[in-house]
Amino acid sequence: MAEVKEITRKLEEIHEKIKAEIPWEPVGPTPMPEIPDLRQWDMRLLKTYAPFYAPFCDLCCFCTYGKCDLSEGKRGACGIDIATQQARFVLLACLMGCSAHAAHGGHILEFLIERQGPDKKIDLGTFIDVEAPSIRTVVGLKPETLGDLKIALEYVFKEIAHLLDSCHTGQEGSALDYESKALDASMLDHVGMEIADIAQIVGFDFPTSVADTPLVDMGWGAIDRSKPVTLLWGHNPATSTVVIDYLREHNLEDQVEVGGLCCTALETTRYSDRAKIVGPLSRGLFFTRAGIADVIMTDEQCIRTDTPQEAAKVGSAMVACLDKAMYGLEDATEMDTDEIVRRVVDNKEQFAILDSPKAAEVAVRVAMAIAPRRKKGWLAEEEAIELAKKCTNCGICEQVCPNLFSIGDGITEVAKGKYDLIRKQFNLCIGCGKCEQECPNKVPIFRIMQIAASMETWKCRAGRGPVMDTEIRNVGAPITLGTIPGIIALVGCSNYPDIDDIADMVDEFARRKYIVVLTGCAAIVAGMKKDKDGLTVYEKYPPDFDAGGVVNIGSCVSNSHISGAAIKIANIFAALRLRGNYEVMADYVLNRVGACGVAWGAMSQKAASIGTGFNRLGIPVVLGPHSSKYRRLYLSRKEEDDWKVMDARKKEIVDTVEPAPEHLAYVCETKEKAMPMIAKLCIRRNDTPQGRAIKLNHYISLYKKYIGSGLPEDLHLFVRRDADIPLVYKKEVRAYLQEIGWQPREPIGLPTLIGTYPTKVPVDAVIH
Amino acid sequence: MSAVIPRHRVNVLTGIKSARLIEDPVEYANLINKAKRPLLVVGPLLLASTADGKILMDHALDIAKSCNIPIRATAQTKGKVVELGVKPDSVYDVVEIVNALKDPDWQGVKKEGNHDLVIFFGIRSDLGNQCLSTLKHFAPPLKTMTLCKHYFPHANYSLPNFKKDAKWLEFLEGLIANLKKGN
Repeated sequence: MAEVKEITRKLEEIHEKIKAEIPWEPVGPTPMPEIPDLRQWDMRLLKTYAPFYAPFCDLCCFCTYGKCDLSEGKRGACGIDIATQQARFVLLACLMGCSAHAAHGGHILEFLIERQGPDKKIDLGTFIDVEAPSIRTVVGLKPETLGDLKIALEYVFKEIAHLLDSCHTGQEGSALDYESKALDASMLDHVGMEIADIAQIVGFDFPTSVADTPLVDMGWGAIDRSKPVTLLWGHNPATSTVVIDYLREHNLEDQVEVGGLCCTALETTRYSDRAKIVGPLSRGLFFTRAGIADVIMTDEQCIRTDTPQEAAKVGSAMVACLDKAMYGLEDATEMDTDEIVRRVVDNKEQFAILDSPKAAEVAVRVAMAIAPRRKKGWLAEEEAIELAKKCTNCGICEQVCPNLFSIGDGITEVAKGKYDLIRKQFNLCIGCGKCEQECPNKVPIFRIMQIAASMETWKCRAGRGPVMDTEIRNVGAPITLGTIPGIIALVGCSNYPDIDDIADMVDEFARRKYIVVLTGCAAIVAGMKKDKDGLTVYEKYPPDFDAGGVVNIGSCVSNSHISGAAIKIANIFAALRLRGNYEVMADYVLNRVGACGVAWGAMSQKAASIGTGFNRLGIPVVLGPHSSKYRRLYLSRKEEDDWKVMDARKKEIVDTVEPAPEHLAYVCETKEKAMPMIAKLCIRRNDTPQGRAIKLNHYISLYKKYIGSGLPEDLHLFVRRDADIPLVYKKEVRAYLQEIGWQPREPIGLPTLIGTYPTKVPVDAVIH
Repeated sequence: MSAVIPRHRVNVLTGIKSARLIEDPVEYANLINKAKRPLLVVGPLLLASTADGKILMDHALDIAKSCNIPIRATAQTKGKVVELGVKPDSVYDVVEIVNALKDPDWQGVKKEGNHDLVIFFGIRSDLGNQCLSTLKHFAPPLKTMTLCKHYFPHANYSLPNFKKDAKWLEFLEGLIANLKKGN
């Protein structure tokens, strides 16, 4: 009885927070879910997509019992085994990622509420009514003001604390439960990202309800070195927008160059199309060492921990603008602005300034003061040859390179006046600088790379924020029927095997009339390659969320609009209720929305939570080879696993046999392997024969193009009836199917996992 | 034996149990010949050419042919394997084969029972080492071996870090010769 009372009290509290009395939709079964509430959904997913662990380390060194050896089935002093330790690590990574975005959202909200008040209305424009699909689905709240976003954020912060608590030594003893918690943390990450980006769009007037955003200049060649240069680095636009404001207010926009690195670059160009994108994170150290920036302003997240030292080496001034990274610098927030400028200019001191307008003024005034006396040259070929002669090609650089290549080979070629190899290698460079650090001959590798780094400029489309409801209405049917073969979301960091891979993937899938959406560093590098006509993918393809469109959604926090678009297909197109109804949304996406994430250069903990958040929503993610170091994938065994679903119309459980989608988190070694895998992971059980034939046409043709002749070995699993076979391969596929004794099977009417595992959700909830 | 540092430092072992380093092709051949159901997993690094004008895949196929080891072609290697006149026994990617190998009930690529020895050749070292870690922890009865020119700490048996490709190719030739002798 006491238990029932407690549940009722909790529910009343939740209903009060989410304003349940406002009847925009009835509240579903899981508003503001806590750890156990979606656990059964996770367990159902993990039954088919079991965690695959690749331990990065055989030991546990978290507590003073350790180090504990967990190899050969041994448990640590607290009782933990190797699988559970990997899952705990994954949860920690996802929590770091979720916290980074949620705290970013918190800072932005505080900044904007202070200036615009908590009652500032959320209005995302004429074409967006479902403004916050993740918040509506997970929290159960329809946010109308900035103040409402705080309610959602407080919920996220509370859950983060519970989840982090579970990582303490000697608690959770199940790898699967840790995985459920990682999925939970990562779902919360998408809520946190959505809070952050909605606040940014509303508070900074970023583009919304528009597809055709400006094409902005990109590349270090786009920066006018003859002017004072301010470089904004990180993710948080509370700093960068204020710099733009300062320049506008003082009529300095023509006199000072503003460039950005990583997501801050994307955010700044959503605010001003005169700002420029220098490049992704992987070009940060290269650009810093080139010394082109007169002032570097860091905010948060992917900003490197050695920026003060690197800036000082080349005479760039440096200001840390957020408390997350103060670098041990003196806090000058309360100091007189003139005094700060004087000390930076005269004494080359570096400061943390946590007041954005003050930081902006200091940065601009310092840049204007020091730029005239700084040299910002680019290395000439003769100098490069001389510098390269110091290299003995000892091989130490290759040993420490995370991308496993020998820059020494390229440098020794430069010494001979040959540049082809180093140009290729510049595309492989992830920009960590370990090669130069370890070089026994002190070869200035990054400086020499200047001759490989093209001064060419590129175009990137400014991030446009949420997919419009009108676009969802247009594409909902073709996506769920399969006639638009899929949505490909290229997301995440720049730890690429080859930076050109992203543009190649975008081009391949846009040409095939998939919808291609991009965020973060992937959105930047997609534009850093031109075709034979000199066009980037942003110039070559339309910016619409439609077949063949290439859509820059925005920065890392804009990833929430990709998961949001998937939810909106279920809510707007299929008219399923989303309020506090996560399982129904995720089940719909898993079974009917042919979407696939590609985090080809995933490096950070944020990428871990972004990807895992997609996974909980039923969206598979293809990762690049470095991502095996995340320690965990979600893989099925296609011919052994459970592919049973409920046919919601007949209320019967049916064994579909088909692994669709086959995996939830999958590592590919090469771009060539990834291409057909991405196409395959867009196959869904709901495809009509026409849609399935289109999807299989791409799967087969990509397989033939990149893997080799013949047909994919698992093709038979995806052919239900003869009508599924693409016309162009009819003869070949029929012969193959006959050879292996394939038997036709009926496509299922309304596939759902609801009803195949214990859940409060009735099967009827998925029928629209 | 003091710890061997792998060629690529991202693969440095943090643990106790590391691969046995073997430099003698006879010993390697004996280990392979002793296995009842070995499997050769070939990766995309084998598409590169060597100084002797061959591609590394030639060596891999010679090894497989010399003692009838089934071949699993990963990534985009199938095309080259077929071009060289061999039909791979199975074509899936490395994480999929590892996922299957850790299941004791899996019947192997020949449907004759799970493999007792898996040989990795031509997979990039970070991914390869991670996959070997999976097998080390979650497929204890399975023995793992590498033929690449670098040390892989998570394998059971590994070659050393060869400074010169010629020495490594010499090892591979020696291995092929000894495998042929053993059959």
